[in-house]
Parts: sequence; structure tokens; C-alpha cells
Amino acid sequence: MSTIHRGLTVSVVVEEEKLGQVNALLTEFNQHAKVNHADYRANMPSTYFISWLTLPAQEYAERMVLPPRILLMTSYVGRKKQHISELVHFLGLRLQAVFELSKPGSSRLSSMEDMMAFVNEHTVFQAFYSGFKFIPTEDIRREQEIRSEVYGFLDKQRSVPAFATQSPSEIKKTIEDFVSNQGAFAWATEGLKEIKRDKLRMLLPLGIFLLVMAASILCLLLSFFINSPILSGIGLVFPAFILILALLFVWLRINENNPHIPNEPVSDDWIREIIEREKNPVLNEMTVIAPLKKGLIRRIFLGLSLRLITLVGYFSYIPTVHTARWLQLDGGRRLVFIANFDNISEAYAHDFVDSDNRSRNMAVVFSHAAGFPATKWLVKRGYNHRSEYMKGVRAHQKITQFWYAFNTELSVENLKNNRKFREGLFRDMDEKEIREWLLTI
Amino acid sequence: MTLELNDMQGLLIRGFGNLPSAQYVLLRFSDFTGGKQYLRELLPAITPATDKPDEQAVQVALTYAGFSFLQLPAEGLASFSREFREGMTESHRQFILGDNGENAPDNWAWGNPAHDEIHLLLIIYAKDESTLAEKLAVEKNRAESYGVLELHTLPTGLLQDHKEHFGFRDDISRPIIEELVDNVEKKPGVTFPAGEFIMGYKNLYDEYAPAPSIPSSKDVLNVLPVSADLPDRKDFGKNGTYLVYRQMEQDVFGFWEYLKGASKDNSEAVSLASKMVGRWPDGSPLTLTPEKPDPSLSTANGFGFWNEDKAGLKCPIGAHIRRTNPRDHLVTERTQKDSLEMAAKHRMLRKGRPYGTPVSERLVPEEILGLPRDDEKRGLHFLCLVTDIRRQFEFVQNNWVNFHKFGGLDQDADPIIGNHYKSDIVVSDEFSIPAYPVKRKLKNLPNFTTIKGGGYFFFPGLRALHYLANHE
Ligand code: HEM
Repeated sequence: MSTIHRGLTVSVVVEEEKLGQVNALLTEFNQHAKVNHADYRANMPSTYFISWLTLPAQEYAERMVLPPRILLMTSYVGRKKQHISELVHFLGLRLQAVFELSKPGSSRLSSMEDMMAFVNEHTVFQAFYSGFKFIPTEDIRREQEIRSEVYGFLDKQRSVPAFATQSPSEIKKTIEDFVSNQGAFAWATEGLKEIKRDKLRMLLPLGIFLLVMAASILCLLLSFFINSPILSGIGLVFPAFILILALLFVWLRINENNPHIPNEPVSDDWIREIIEREKNPVLNEMTVIAPLKKGLIRRIFLGLSLRLITLVGYFSYIPTVHTARWLQLDGGRRLVFIANFDNISEAYAHDFVDSDNRSRNMAVVFSHAAGFPATKWLVKRGYNHRSEYMKGVRAHQKITQFWYAFNTELSVENLKNNRKFREGLFRDMDEKEIREWLLTI
Repeated sequence: MTLELNDMQGLLIRGFGNLPSAQYVLLRFSDFTGGKQYLRELLPAITPATDKPDEQAVQVALTYAGFSFLQLPAEGLASFSREFREGMTESHRQFILGDNGENAPDNWAWGNPAHDEIHLLLIIYAKDESTLAEKLAVEKNRAESYGVLELHTLPTGLLQDHKEHFGFRDDISRPIIEELVDNVEKKPGVTFPAGEFIMGYKNLYDEYAPAPSIPSSKDVLNVLPVSADLPDRKDFGKNGTYLVYRQMEQDVFGFWEYLKGASKDNSEAVSLASKMVGRWPDGSPLTLTPEKPDPSLSTANGFGFWNEDKAGLKCPIGAHIRRTNPRDHLVTERTQKDSLEMAAKHRMLRKGRPYGTPVSERLVPEEILGLPRDDEKRGLHFLCLVTDIRRQFEFVQNNWVNFHKFGGLDQDADPIIGNHYKSDIVVSDEFSIPAYPVKRKLKNLPNFTTIKGGGYFFFPGLRALHYLANHE
């Protein structure tokens, strides 16, 4: 089974007058999910997060109304088909009730197969980020459990005088003996076989991209010496790519000269309504959905950026974030961003603007959205960037009517730490490495 | 940009340490005209930042309710930050601050508007108790004659060797305001542009700190400067800032009893307590001297964690000073530079003073450990000055002090000031001390500090006070 954590986004248009009905349903289902959290966990073992919400009509570029939509955004580990089947089987009636209110779904969702086909059909592209990689949901609890059992065991050894004088490898051996002797932890003795394969899988698209570019550069060089139309053809790929990028940048720069139209200030009551929903003690969710600034180049540039972000996804890092995704809707005219993160959004949104690097990276995506601060050459920020950015986030934040998280107790650092501990078990390490590893307990 | 010291109250740039006696007086206006007349008369008595008094000093701050009562124009009222307008006890602020359980405003002695609405904070410093008594009498008279009601008078008392009541040296680490130092060598995380703490100047984002302002047309007497960001408005915030006040009672005996229970001898109790603070009782930082205190380092502050102690083997990640100022190492960041830049955005100018009789004069922990419990009330009047309550004070209190997952920890709130509890979904009463071969976890920490009162105040510049006292 693949252990890559991926996102699935389903988006359908809905009529304005049906929004109230959909919202009422989602609110009711949300309550149901809270009360029956254990059932959800048991019946949807591939699913990490679900955000399900409606999106009102929004104005684009002062001349076009983007339609209201229903968005279902999940994240999962394993095969996509399996995940959809799980969603449809467990949430079937609820999915049906909501999606049948959408225009295209009107009378077609009578069977599970219809529903699966419907979900598949309305899936859209997204750039997806996960803060913890290769951890299936079943590992969350057991990796926490084994670490805390081992801690309890070591804590008891503290009273043994010779304990603290043992060498790191002796301590590691003691721990591994303890684990091996607990039948319940047999799974931990087997190692993590799939990870290498999954890493390669994640890196494959980037590898192919780099390979194509490298091949093109090579062919370009060779074409100076060997006269071959194939070599010249392939050799043009890299310069063409660079040229297109450069032209897009210039086009964007021209668009950036459009006067900045700031967001309307949002009311205190709206902010209160949003933050009132962020009172979960460990993890919370945030959705920001904004129309783009006017100009075709914004749509193209954002689309390209999201694809490049996907390409380097393996290497990206956003602190305290469990998952994040960015996508475009309505012909690229709308940007959707959702994140599941530790603690509250007032703290989280700071992470975006409090360091120079982060603030520059965020500008790559958000500077295309209406009301967000203007930039030059995409990354050069202007005066009041930070406050305008924070205002932009609040102005476009939406309420997620239905939110489900498989894990509600562990922070992203907890998850990574538990995994580091498990990875170290039964693995050869030198004394220095073991010392570091012991700190994960 | 030079600072307009003559328009600032002195506390912004000094702590009046040479005036060891002080009282905080909380008042309420009862009459609009009387209130303004009172302020007019009080104004000349307020100590500006240009004075370095050696007899006495007076400082003043108002709550949102105070400004409303004195009818600051509606546009001005609306331009204060939301958290200031809502006040410390509003339900979401309470949530952010972790003021629940025994820390809930219902249990406070003051500051809960359901019981008494505070308008004004008067801080009076004096060189000795008799001068303080005289000055208090003067101020009491002044207030009475204008119908300004005295709600609470809260005494303070500096302790020996700059200590706080648990027996640790306090007031060592302070942000340095660049504009106050000649030929300053700017250092991220150490020196700060004035706008982080004083309105009307640029902050770390190279923006003017968000400040209250009023339409120019409402400044008939032309008292206020023009707002730097909004040309059609006057800057009511310039040379002022927000003042956060928390009265925190300290259970000194509870603190040391807990540590005694967790240790085999007094010296271990002291070192566990030092792990909780991040400094030894004499102030020397664990990061620089992890095994034992070093009096020559008692005011040392030039250290970081990234290179010296990433894992927290010297100063635990969850120690009070590491949580309230992670310096150059945030566990969630991948570079020292990002950590430094991020942590610097959440600093405050601390100005508080202890109150109550100390358990012993010298406050040496080994001595405290042998003392019988008494019934005295003692603690810290925690005061801090910030231009952005949410980004600076509330962020620290919420995301660093109380969030039990801070820095990759499992169930640890700040060991000294965190709200420690267990519920169905949260456990926050543990303290992890990284060590070889395995960390030590202290469990079931009771609350060593409890909130007894508090409020968000605005600490205006002198022109703003003048405006308030004279506007139509
Ligand atoms: C009764 C309550 C408190 C006690 C006993 C206490 C004690 C201490 C002590 C002993 C120090 C070390 C001295 C120094 O570095 O200056 C310190 C530092 C500090 N405290 Fe507290 N404190 C209390 C409340 C608070 C609160 C409420 C906050 C803010 C939320 C806070 C924020 C800080 C900060 C920012 C530092 C400096 C850290 C650094 O820069 O290294 N303290 N405190």
C-alpha cells in the first residue's frame, strides 16, 4: 500500500438558492461527525481530514460573477480508488443528500457506483502539502503508544544506579529487548519497508522533469557539434522553457502595475464568527478563498506556480502545518487555500509573514489573489505588506461547515517525533546518532 | 527617526528603579466634565520621558471604557485594536489567554467588568514610603474633587537583588530600542526599532505600528500630529502604546514544596526549579552554565539556543525564558535565521513589580525550602508595553506559554506561569527535562501562579492626553 499522504478535492457548482439548504445539511453532519468521531475513524481508515463547505458567489475582476460552489476536500493515505470507495460507503447518504442539490448531480446519484463516478468526475487538480510523510492513520496511535511505553519503561530504570552510566548502544539494546518482548509491539520489529519505494514515487515527477531538462541541455550542446534535427529539437526544450518563463514574468510585471485595490475591511462580528470555530485544543482548520486579481497572466502564472510547487512537494516545508492545499477553480479565476495546522489561526497566519523567506514564498501564491498586497517581480514586497496580507487572509476566510480530522490530539512535531523514534528502532546507528535518537523518547 | 521623548511618558524608556516605592491605583470616572477637568489638572504632574526624577513620578493609562466615558470621537474609539476594545475578559480573549479554571475572571479581585468597570490606571513611584504616602494623598484628593472614584490601590514592593518571589533574579533580559542608543549596532533579536513598543515609529516590518487615530476635523485645537499612514487623520497613538496588566499571585510555598517532593535533596530542588525558569536563582543562564550557578554571569543575556543547546539538554525547551523568548531556536523552524526573525516579532517591554512581603528577606531558595508556610498574599504585578497586543503579548501567552504542544512537547504548559490542568482532551501539567539517557518528566504540576486581576490599557503620549482632556 502507498503511504503517501495525498489530497482529493471535489468541486461542484450549486444554485444560489440552494446554498442555505446545503449549509444546513453540512452543519448537521458536522455535529454528527463530532459526536460519532470514533465511528468515523473506524470506518474511514484511509482518511486524515475532510473539509466540506459551500462557497458563495464571488465577483471576479469587477465584471464577472463566479458561481457558488460546494467543495469537498479530503486527504488520505493509500489508493485513491479505495479512499473514494470508503468515503462513498461511509458517507454515502450524506454525500448524496448534499451533491444531489448541486446542479449536475440532480438525479444521478442513486447507487454507490453513481456516487463514485460523480466524485471522480468532479475531482480537480491541486497542489498538496503534507507536514508528515508516509504515516498511515493506523500508525498514529501505535507510534505514540510505543514511545510512551518505552518512556515508562526507561523511567523505571532511572532508579537502577548503573542505568545512567550505560553507553548509548547498551541503552538502545535494552530498549529493543523490551520492545521485542512485548507481543503487542511485534509490528515495530518489522521496519518500514514501503518508505523507500514511496519516496521514489514522490520524487519521480521531479526526476523526470530534471532529466528532460538535463537531456535538453545536453542535446543543445551536442547540436553545436552534430547536425541532427532530433538533437536540435530536444535541445530547444530547455531554452524554450526559460524563454516562456521570462516572458511570463515580464507579462506579470506589466500586470503588477495595475493599481492595488485593497479589501473592504471585515466586521468584528465576522472575525468573531470565524475564530469561534478555532477552539480545538490542538489542531484547527482554515479556508481562504479569493478571486484572483484581473488579468489572464494571473491565472496562468498561478497555475504554473501550483504545478511547480507540486513538483518540488517532497522538499517543501511549512512549520506546524499538517496539510495544506492550493487550487484554482472557475477557469483559474479563484484561488482556494485550506490548511490544517497546530493551534489557532491568529498564531498560524503569523508564520507566513514573520520571516523574510516565508513571506516571500507566500507572495508567490497569494499575491495573485484580489486584495492581497501588491508585489514587484512576484516576490518583492511593498510597504505595509504584512498588515495588508493579514487583512487579506481575514477578508477571504470562509467558514468550513463540516470539518473532520482523524487525529485530534497530536501536533505535527509529535507525529514526526514518534516516527523518528520508530525509525530508529532496530536500526544500526553510531553512538552519537543513538544519543540524538534517545532525545525523541 | 528621533524619538519625541518630551511627548512620551517616562515608563516607555525607564523602569524608575531608583524610585523603589510604588502603588498602582485603579479608578473610575463618574462624570464626563469632571473627568476631563481631572485629566487637565493631572497632566502637568505626569512624568515625561525627558525627566529622570529622583523623588517621585506619576504615569497614567486608560481602558477602552475610560476612553468611551470621556467621549473620544467614535472614529477614534473604533480605531483601537479589537483586542483592546474587547478587553482582557471578553470570552475569546479569555480563551486565547487561557484564563479558565481558577484563573477565570470570575475569580479575580479586580478587572472583571461584570463587577467593577475600570477607566484609569495611575502608577505612582516614589523614592521612599513616606514620599509615596504623601503623593498618594495628593492624588486621592485630586481624584475625589473631580468625582473620580478610587476602586483599588495595589501596593508593590521591590525585592532584594531584583528578585521575584520564588527567589529568582528577574528583569535581566530586555529588548533594546535602537533609537535610544547612539551609533547602535543593530542585532536581530536583541535590538528593536521603536515601533515594536512605541506608536508613531516604524516596527520590525518596516511599517508604522497600527495606532488609534481620529479624523483631522475632530482635532479643533490642533493638538495631535498628522497620522503617518492616513493623511486625513490625526495620530492619537503617537508616542503612546498598549499596556497589559496582569496581577499574578505566586504560591511560593506550593512551588518549593512541589520541587522538594520531586527531589532527593535541596540542591536537586534548586536545580529543578532553575530548569523550570531557564536561569539559576542568581540569574545566570543555564545555557551558559548548566551545572552550577556562576555569579559572574548573573546578568548575562548574550546567548542563543541554536548553536549552544538545540536539544534543551542545558535549558529545557519548555523553560519559562525559552518559551517566552525562544531567541534563535524555534523547534518548528529549519534555520537559525528564520527562528530569530520569527521570535523577534513577539517581544515585549516588561515593566512589572512584585507585591506582598517576601517569604524571607534574601529569598535564597535553600532558606525558603526550610520555612513554614504562611498565609501572606504575594506575587507579581506583570506589566508590559507593546504596540500590538495580539502579535506580542497574546501570541506569547497563547502560542508559547500555554500551548501544551509548544516546541514539539507533549503535554507541557509553561512550568512557572502556564495554566496546568487535565481535561478529557488536554493535559498541560507536565514539564519535560531533556537528559541522557532519557528525559525526566515532572507530572501533576499545580498552578504556581494564579491571575487575580488584569486589563488592557492604553498608555497615551502627552499630546494625546492633552487632547483627551480638552476635546469638545
Ligand atoms: C509571576 C509571574 C512570573 C514570574 C515569577 C516570572 C519570572 C521570570 C524570571 C525569573 C525571568 C528571568 C529573568 C529575565 O530573563 O529577565 C523571566 C523572564 C521573562 N519572562 Fe517572566 N515571569 C512571570 C510572568 C511572565 C509573564 C506573564 C510573561 C509574558 C507572557 C513573562 C515573560 C517573560 C519574558 C519575555 C522574559 C524574558 C525572557 C528572555 O528574554 O530570555 N513572564 N520571568
